[in-house]
Amino acid sequence: MVKNITIFTTDSCAYCGMIKKYLRSKGHIYDEVNLDSNPERHAEAQQLSGARTVPVTVVTKHDDSREIIVGFNLAKLAPALS
Amino acid sequence: MQDKLEVVVYGADWCPDCLRVKNILEKHKIDYRYHDVDKDKKMEKEMLALTDNHYTIPTLKIDGQIMQDPDNSVLLSALKLPSDLLSTHEVIMIGGGPASLAAAIYTTREDIETVIFERGVVGGLAAVTDKIDNYPGFPDGIEGLTLADNLQQQAQRFGAVIELGEVNKINDEGKYKRLETSSGDYYAKAVLIATGSDYKKIGVPGEKEYYAKGVHYCATCDGAFYRDKRLVVVGGGNSAVQEAIFLTRFASHIDILVRGESFRASEVLQKELESKFKNKISVHFNTTTDEIVGDGDQVVKVVGTDKVANAKVEFPTDGVFVFVGLSPNSQFLKESAIKLDELGFVITNNRLETSMKGVFAAGDIRSGATMQIASASGEGATAALMIREYLEGKHHPVQN
Repeated sequence: MVKNITIFTTDSCAYCGMIKKYLRSKGHIYDEVNLDSNPERHAEAQQLSGARTVPVTVVTKHDDSREIIVGFNLAKLAPALS
Repeated sequence: MQDKLEVVVYGADWCPDCLRVKNILEKHKIDYRYHDVDKDKKMEKEMLALTDNHYTIPTLKIDGQIMQDPDNSVLLSALKLPSDLLSTHEVIMIGGGPASLAAAIYTTREDIETVIFERGVVGGLAAVTDKIDNYPGFPDGIEGLTLADNLQQQAQRFGAVIELGEVNKINDEGKYKRLETSSGDYYAKAVLIATGSDYKKIGVPGEKEYYAKGVHYCATCDGAFYRDKRLVVVGGGNSAVQEAIFLTRFASHIDILVRGESFRASEVLQKELESKFKNKISVHFNTTTDEIVGDGDQVVKVVGTDKVANAKVEFPTDGVFVFVGLSPNSQFLKESAIKLDELGFVITNNRLETSMKGVFAAGDIRSGATMQIASASGEGATAALMIREYLEGKHHPVQN
């Protein structure tokens, strides 16, 4: 079971918009961290993903385990949400 | 046919998912009552009473069961229809870029039921391009993401359905083509291949190792990680110059490495670079990119060759953005009986038909394409008209 979802995004990132649309279409609620508005959180996004890219989607489960999906990757995101 | 269920749909004219749901009901000849909650406040009240005041459209009442914006499989199950019915379509378009979105506007306006499969971002490469200055009708240019959104909304307004998923193979089974997809098998009378292209890799040491950790192919996605950093952009075409200009909003300095002796980019872009961005961008012609060097965690420099001086050159940098041309997204066709040219682009005749009857191709993926968004849209429109003729049974001799 999913406890919460956080997505790191930027304004110009088309894939971020797609992730958000996908999550909404599946009825998921998420928190968004826009790195253009919150540049101080760049390092956090980079540390979580090990990459300098967005979107980074952090899916936290009820047992507090986390899955981190880098980029628009439905093959990883869909099972993480199940 | 299913005729025992009592189905009520609450929706609005502008709502794409309402249209999707209505299309499914009509396709399967299921009687339903439709209430427009925008126009009829009494019906809006009735809907809110059913949904505990949650306003979501479409809301459906199927034999007393309330559903809000169900996806296709949930709806199908509630309608007690076999699950494979929804996987049979008149047209399936593979790839959700400008070519198929334009084609879908035409097919759906002609009442040809159309599903688009997109594995990544709707709008394709156009959606991840910062600004598009050469698409007709936008005198001040238009952001790629906005153009993609507009095309998507226009296609969905007429009933195009966009499914997120990947097509892995196309099989010719006569009247229907069977598409093996990440969501199972789908069937279509006609198929449009419009999978477009993606940025090419340069194929040098370090490129793969530092992918997304300093080596990038999408400036609008990853540029923000380079605020006040140095960057290298590799390439000399429109994309390289356009994206280097975009990256100046973050980077402190950009070196553009161009293998040739001049840019291939348009004069307008070159002039813009020269007049507005000279202080932030240095251009190095006749310079190859030989190696991307990092410290294990991140990129520290690019090593190249100055072909005129025949000497090694180094560019200290925090990241590299590569725009050296386009390669076709046709890997999934390697196992299909569809002819590709030597570079992997799909071969078509002048009616945009591929070597498999009933399968068409348009846009960047097509052999001979001009790799322009406007051309892709135009080819999409042409393909839609050819598909209509094909579905009407009009056959033309192949002209190559």
